[in-house]
Amino acid sequence: MATLRILLFSVLKQRMGEGVLYIEMPMPTTGAALLDQVAMDYPAFADYRGVVRIAVNHEYVSEDCVVDVEDEVALITPVSGG
Amino acid sequence: MCDTRWIALYDTPLEVGTSFAFLQTPDAGGIDMFAGTTRQWTGSKETIWLEYDCYRPMALKEIERLADEACRRWPIKRLLVHHRLGVVPLAEVSVIIGVATPHRSDAFAACRFLIDTLKQQVPIWKREFFADGTEEWIEGPKPPDITV
Repeated sequence: MATLRILLFSVLKQRMGEGVLYIEMPMPTTGAALLDQVAMDYPAFADYRGVVRIAVNHEYVSEDCVVDVEDEVALITPVSGG
Repeated sequence: MCDTRWIALYDTPLEVGTSFAFLQTPDAGGIDMFAGTTRQWTGSKETIWLEYDCYRPMALKEIERLADEACRRWPIKRLLVHHRLGVVPLAEVSVIIGVATPHRSDAFAACRFLIDTLKQQVPIWKREFFADGTEEWIEGPKPPDITV
């Protein structure tokens, strides 16, 4: 088991009550497994599971991407800049 | 790629005049600038201010990537993307997109591409504060594309 740090912004930060999550799970993992773990630990995440994108090291990646502890991971809900 | 570009995020008011001056070059015959501003009314709902959150390092990287794509598609001589973060009061500017190209049709197309893809891809979010005391994080119509 290892601790993965996950950054949150905007509505996710508000709904989940914090800007950084620390998730305990076996590493390395995949994007999909990581989302499943977040959904299990934080029920409020369920509403966003279908629309969230995973960013690893500042790039959008697919859910089959491999994620390891040293990666910078963020969950990105549909953006609304401009 | 582009000859010269200026991409930045600010916590202070954006400067339209400085931005326009940056875009001026003898290589271009047309400059297109778009400014997004805080609108008071959306239907019957009254907004009193907007507040922007941002994943800064990724936002800068993603804007650079969109700028690279714009420069592949059009003969851009100067390119500018500035976004303001934090609170943006009514009528003030939250985003400036600017491009300078030899001919106007390319400037219109590149400017439109940059604002449309910024709104879809770049990790910046707006929160609307309404006159009735409510507030809401705005979510875009669909998730960002993984590969553009």
